[in-house]
Amino acid sequence: MDENFKRQVLSMAKVIDELDYYQILKLDQMAFDDDIKRAYFGESRLYHPDKYFNEPPQFQAQVTRVFKRVCEAYKVLSDKERRSLYTKQINGADRQKFLRFDLKVLEQEKAKKEDEGHTPMGKKYYQLAKAAIQNKDFKGAKINLQLAVKMEPQNQTFQERLKEVEDILAMRRKL
Amino acid sequence: MGRAVGIDLGTSTSCVSIIKDGKPFAIPAGDGNPIQASVIAFLEDGSRIVGNAAKAMMVENAEHTIYSAKRLIGRKFFQSEVKKAQAVCSYEIVEGPNQSVRMKARGREYSCPEISAMVLMEMKRIAENYLGEEVDKAVITVPANFNDGQRQATKDAGTIAGLNVLRIINEPTAAALAYGFGKGLKQKIAVYDFGGGTFDISILEIGEDVYEVISTAGDMYLGGDDFDDRLIDYMAEQFMRKHNVDLRQDRKALQRLKNAAEKAKIDLTEKLETRVYLPGIMEEMGGKLDLDISFNRNYFGQMIMDLIQKTFKVCDEALQNAHLTVENIDALILVGGPSKMPIIREAVKSYFFKDPHAGIDPEQVVALGASIQASSLVEARPGALLLDVTPLSLGIATAGGLMDVLIERNTPIPTESARIFTTTREQQAAVKIRIFQGEDRKYENNELLGEFRLTEIPPAPAGMPKIEVTFEIDANGIVHVTARDRDTGQAQSVQLNVSGGLSQEEIQRLKSEHRGEEEVSKYKPELELP
Repeated sequence: MDENFKRQVLSMAKVIDELDYYQILKLDQMAFDDDIKRAYFGESRLYHPDKYFNEPPQFQAQVTRVFKRVCEAYKVLSDKERRSLYTKQINGADRQKFLRFDLKVLEQEKAKKEDEGHTPMGKKYYQLAKAAIQNKDFKGAKINLQLAVKMEPQNQTFQERLKEVEDILAMRRKL
Repeated sequence: MGRAVGIDLGTSTSCVSIIKDGKPFAIPAGDGNPIQASVIAFLEDGSRIVGNAAKAMMVENAEHTIYSAKRLIGRKFFQSEVKKAQAVCSYEIVEGPNQSVRMKARGREYSCPEISAMVLMEMKRIAENYLGEEVDKAVITVPANFNDGQRQATKDAGTIAGLNVLRIINEPTAAALAYGFGKGLKQKIAVYDFGGGTFDISILEIGEDVYEVISTAGDMYLGGDDFDDRLIDYMAEQFMRKHNVDLRQDRKALQRLKNAAEKAKIDLTEKLETRVYLPGIMEEMGGKLDLDISFNRNYFGQMIMDLIQKTFKVCDEALQNAHLTVENIDALILVGGPSKMPIIREAVKSYFFKDPHAGIDPEQVVALGASIQASSLVEARPGALLLDVTPLSLGIATAGGLMDVLIERNTPIPTESARIFTTTREQQAAVKIRIFQGEDRKYENNELLGEFRLTEIPPAPAGMPKIEVTFEIDANGIVHVTARDRDTGQAQSVQLNVSGGLSQEEIQRLKSEHRGEEEVSKYKPELELP
C-alpha cells in the first residue's frame, strides 16, 4: 500500500468536514452534469473501500468516511433542484452550517416557496391536484392544475407543478 | 486460508461459482449440474439431502421436504407472504418467538436462516469437493429489493453455514458485473431479474471499471413460483368442478400438482402445448380419481399476463427514478429461470424495444458475478468497483404518524445520516427510536426494522441532552445505529430491542451444531471437468 496515498487519504479524512461537495469532487461550481458524473467515478476509483479490503480496520474506516462523503456529494450535486439550493447555501453567510445537505431544509424551502393559491377555487383545484399526484393519477392532476392555473394565471407554483406533471406524462407516453 | 466463492442463493435454485483461469466458472455438483434446487429433504433416519436429489423425492417426502425458504426469510409471521406460502406449501409453517417464522419437518422446527444455511453448506461442499480445498469465504447475493431484516438473515445463514460472508450484493448488480467484466464498456443497461420469488429491475451505468446503480425497483411478492401457483389453482379448480374435491387440502396431492405445474410451465417454454396427467391423484369411495388437463402456451400466457404486466409497472418506476426512458438503454440483461419463457421474452422485448443480450445463462449469471466480487475483495485489486444503492427509504417514526425520512431510496451506499435526539421529560433516562424502511408517508405502512433505545442518559432537565444518533447503511445494505453525546463526544449506549432476527447466541449455537456435521473425508476432487 503506497505510503503517499495512505497519507493523502488520512489528511482528506481530517479536513473533510471543512469541505463543500464541489471541493470534495474537485469540481468547479459551474461544472456540467457530465463532469459531475465523471468526477464521482474518478473519486470512487481512489476512495472505494473495496480496494482496501485487506487493510487494517482503522484505515478502512477512514477511507470509508471519505467515500461516504463522496457519495453524498454526488447524490446532491446530481439533482438540479438540490444542487441549486445547496450552491446558494454554501455561497451565503452561513457556509459552515450548510456543508452537508439536509433533506429537512429542502422540504422547508419547498414549503416556503409553495404558493397554495389565494382564490377559493384556485386553492381547491391545487389541493385536488396534490392528492392526485400522491395517488400517481397524473392525468387527473394535470386537469386540476390546468383549472388552477386558469383561476390564478400569475401563480408560479401552479405553473411549475403543471409543467412537472406534463413532463411525467410525456415520459410515460414514450414508454 | 480457504478459498472464496460466489453463491447465488435463490428461491428455487442455487449456484456456486469461483474464478478459474481468470474467468468466473459455475461449479457442477455430483450430478454434473451447477444449478441445484434450494430444497432440503429431511429423512426418517434423521439425515437430510439437499439439492436436486432432494427435489426428486419431493412427492414421497412431501410433508418433510422444505423449499422456497427465501420467500419467508426475514419476514414476520403475520405478513401476507407467509399466509400465501402456508396455503401452497406442502410443509408446515408455524409461528416462532417474536412473531418469526418456523418451518416444520420430522417434528422439529427450523428458522429460515437455518434452512438457508443448509443450502449454503451444500453449495460450500460442492465447491470443496470440486476444488479439493477448503472454502471459508463467500459473497452471497440477495434480491435488490431485500430490506435490512432479509439481508441480515441471509448473512446470518452464511455465518451458521461456517462461511465468512465477505459481502451481501444485489442480484441484478452481480449480473451486470458478470455481463460487463473485462469488456471496458461505457453503457447504460437494464437488468430485468425475474426469479422464483421476487422481481427486480436495476438500471446501471457502466463506466469501464465502475458499475453505478442509478436506480432499482422491485416487487417482493412476484416470482416464477406465482406462475406455478396460478397453474395449481387452475388445475385444482377444474378438478373440484368435476369431482367436488379440493386437491390442495392433501399434502401429497398438492406436491404432485406443484411438480406437475412446474414441469408444465417449463414444457411450455419449448412446446406450444402440454398435458398434465396425474393418475390416481386422489382416492375416493373405493376408487381412484385421475387428473387429466391440457393447455397451450397462449392460454397459460393469459393466466399470467397480469403478473407480467406488474413487472412493467415496476420498470416504469425504475426508469422514472433514473430520469431515463427505454431509448436511453443500450443493453438489456435477463436474469432468472422464468426469464427463459418465450412469453416473458416477447413481453420484455416489446417494452424495451430491443432483444435481450444473448450469450448469458440467466440461471448462472448471478453466481458468476458474485464470484467476481468475491475474488475482487480478497485480492483487493478489484477489476470492477460497485457503486450500489439502498433500495428502500429509511426513516423514523414521528408522533404525528408520518415517517421522517433520513436516507432516501436509491442513495449510493455506504451512507449515513445523523439526527439529534433529546428528552421530553425531566431526568428521562432513555429515548425510544423506531426505524422503518419503505416508501409510504405513514410509518405504520412501512416495514419496522427495529426499535432502539438510547439508555443510561445522565439525568438532566427536559430538552437538555443532545444525543447525536447516526444511522448508517453499509455496503451490504444493512443498517447500523450508533449514538454519542454531542457535547462530550462520549459513546451513548444503544440497545436493540425488537428486530425479529436471530440473536448472536442463537447464531453461534447453530453454527457449532452444524459444524459438527461436516464429514471428515470431504476433500476429494470428485470430478475432472475440461
